[in-house]
Amino acid sequence: MMKKIIILTILSISALFAQVNEAVEVPYISYEIKMGKGFDAVNANCLMCHSFGYIINQGPQSKDFWHKKVVKMIVHFKAPISKEDVEITTNYLFEHYGNGALK
Amino acid sequence: MQRRDFLKASLAASAVALGSSASAGVTGQPVDSRKVSKIAFPEKRPLITYSDRPPLLETPRDSFTKAITSNDEFFVRWHMPEIPTHIDPDTYKININGLVNKELHISLNELKTAFEQVEVTSVLQCGGNSRSAFNPVAGGIQWGSGAMGCAKWKGVRLSDILNRAGLKKDAVWIGFNGLDNAAYYETPTFIREMRIDELDDHVIVAYEMNGEDLPYLNGYPVRLVIPGHYSDSWVKMLSNITVTNEYKSLFFMDVAYRIPDNDCECETPENKFKTTKPITTMNVKSVIGYPTNNTVVYHNSHVVVRGVAFDDGHGIKDVVISTDGGKTWKEAILDKDAGRYAFRAFRFAFKPTAYGKVSIMAKAINRLGAEQPLAQDIKWNHGGYKYNGIDVVTIEVV
Repeated sequence: MMKKIIILTILSISALFAQVNEAVEVPYISYEIKMGKGFDAVNANCLMCHSFGYIINQGPQSKDFWHKKVVKMIVHFKAPISKEDVEITTNYLFEHYGNGALK
Repeated sequence: MQRRDFLKASLAASAVALGSSASAGVTGQPVDSRKVSKIAFPEKRPLITYSDRPPLLETPRDSFTKAITSNDEFFVRWHMPEIPTHIDPDTYKININGLVNKELHISLNELKTAFEQVEVTSVLQCGGNSRSAFNPVAGGIQWGSGAMGCAKWKGVRLSDILNRAGLKKDAVWIGFNGLDNAAYYETPTFIREMRIDELDDHVIVAYEMNGEDLPYLNGYPVRLVIPGHYSDSWVKMLSNITVTNEYKSLFFMDVAYRIPDNDCECETPENKFKTTKPITTMNVKSVIGYPTNNTVVYHNSHVVVRGVAFDDGHGIKDVVISTDGGKTWKEAILDKDAGRYAFRAFRFAFKPTAYGKVSIMAKAINRLGAEQPLAQDIKWNHGGYKYNGIDVVTIEVV
């Protein structure tokens, strides 16, 4: 999903940097994210709003932290994540990007 | 931040100078090992890249030898993933509405011709800059020291725009909104609210950065510039200014960018402080741009340490350098003063005589006498905001 093409259109237009007179394309980066149980739910629920970079650059965190992050996405950002997926994504995030602590 | 115990603490500073082996609960140095990516974003040279959507780019440390951060290496931080990819400068309008006598729809041309044009050189720093120094790991992107930069901004005073619109008597709050949007319609938009009495004449609506149009990723065509304040309210692609008489409850105002509302602005993970306050103005800070960690130099050669220092607009009085783990401090030379909100570049001649690893520490002191604490003396907060520890780089003398 979300195939974005790496085109640095605006760098090639003119020396004056034509700014956004032409459509700007922000490069797509394929972040190396760990595969494992629950990844499909992460792929379906998280990538809609943000890159995997947001996940892997949070640093290792507790299960409680990841749970609260997922809940924040629902409560504050209104992401339509099902109850089931809250648990699946939390477990995935803690398993691969956790610090071993529950709290 | 007051640090009464500073002298005592600096005697024991050799521990921190040895590096980032922070034990549980002790703040260390921010992560400094990240390399720039191979991907250049529009109008940017390759930077440290945390995310492409929304774009999050960090300026590498070696940029901070200069008082002005060039546009192509200036850090980038957006909150929303849907950023317009096309802006027509001929039809772009900034709308001013709400409790005003006359609604305005200001074009870029009007902004540049129908108002007094002003310039301010000011630091722009993310409240979470250097977050990776906190231990345990604080929530949020683990920035190193480069979520900051300093530019010369040109634009129009916000107060001149508001005066043109005419504020109604009961006006108290001003909400600022940009064109970036969430993926879901229901997601609250990134509106920032400020009290009218917080906004002085230094606040401008800027269209130019270092003599060029604002780069797209830094908010083209206009953004808010609030000198002395962390960047969370410097709204990019500013499109709407709404004056109200009551505070609107918003996620980015009520939950994000807040710190414990106590004297130390601190808490523990187990015992979070219940009441919070916005991060608002910046504390005194400095970053060494040269040398960088792991730079190798010959002994008895001539090293010029360079860096930048800043605060919230009181101005930098001194930057002092230690090369002996904080036992003794010597004054660096401060370069030209580009205004109280700007980076103050400093330099310090250093001739390493001993072999092996040497740590160079920089501490800035502002005109109020506030100075940077040792990293280890900085207490934790859940969002990892406002880190301003004494900067340390460790070089190798051969």
